[in-house]
Amino acid sequence: MNTVLSRANSLFAFSLSVMAVLTFGCFITTAFKDRRVPVDIRVSRVLLKNVDDFTGPRERSDLGFVTFDLSPHLQPIFDWNVKQLFIYLSAEYATKANSLNQVVLWDKILIRGDNTKLNLKDMKSKYFFFDDGNGLRSNKNITLTLSWNVVPNAGILPLVVGSGHVSLPFPESYENTKSY
Amino acid sequence: MLSIFKSIPTHMDYKGQKLAEQIFQGVILISAVIGFVYGLIVEQFGWTVYIVLGGFAVSCLLTLPPWPMYRKNPLPWQPVLPETSAESNQKPPENIQKKKKHK
Repeated sequence: MNTVLSRANSLFAFSLSVMAVLTFGCFITTAFKDRRVPVDIRVSRVLLKNVDDFTGPRERSDLGFVTFDLSPHLQPIFDWNVKQLFIYLSAEYATKANSLNQVVLWDKILIRGDNTKLNLKDMKSKYFFFDDGNGLRSNKNITLTLSWNVVPNAGILPLVVGSGHVSLPFPESYENTKSY
Repeated sequence: MLSIFKSIPTHMDYKGQKLAEQIFQGVILISAVIGFVYGLIVEQFGWTVYIVLGGFAVSCLLTLPPWPMYRKNPLPWQPVLPETSAESNQKPPENIQKKKKHK
């Protein structure tokens, strides 16, 4: 501690250690918080087509077009340890070929500071809803859920499923829109 | 050019070094506590970081330059003896003192 450099060295190292403890404190204050929020999902139309899927091995696969309404109010999730939320809408169903299928239809990134009261109406899916085969036609039960990934400043990244979901049957034939 | 920096005296005596260390540890810890509480209230971790950085800057100013308060207890060196034949007897004690100085 006799020279400026030696004093500057101890000062800087001490500040970094203190900063590390504060970051851990920030993590601890929000580690056990419940990040589920009730979500309202509604589907207005479903259109089913049977088209060539060049990414798969078979001749033609089912392709679904879903039009939906979403209104999640995500304000309670944002606190001082949340940087952004990655929200995605996924469809889950069972077919004869596979017992569990999960397809992501739409996603969005919500950065802290953005409007958190989303009120989206008549949204089209962002990604193709292809089935592995022809299992979407006359499927009795397809469940749409909204989930999100919480990206923190410090700590673990929890994957949370919203507490609202909607289940609906798909149409019996192709090229026929079914309204709900 | 480096010789200019080397010629500025930056030493402190031992009690001064202890005081400097206590001062900067205290300043940074206090600013950390204030920053943590303020960031928790305002719900923004950025403020915590800014306040700790402010505490770091304040303690840099207080402890890096060798202020006179850190030089209040200088080491009591032996007085310089005139250079006579008695000098050869004085060399061993001076060497011991030199070893103590370079900590």
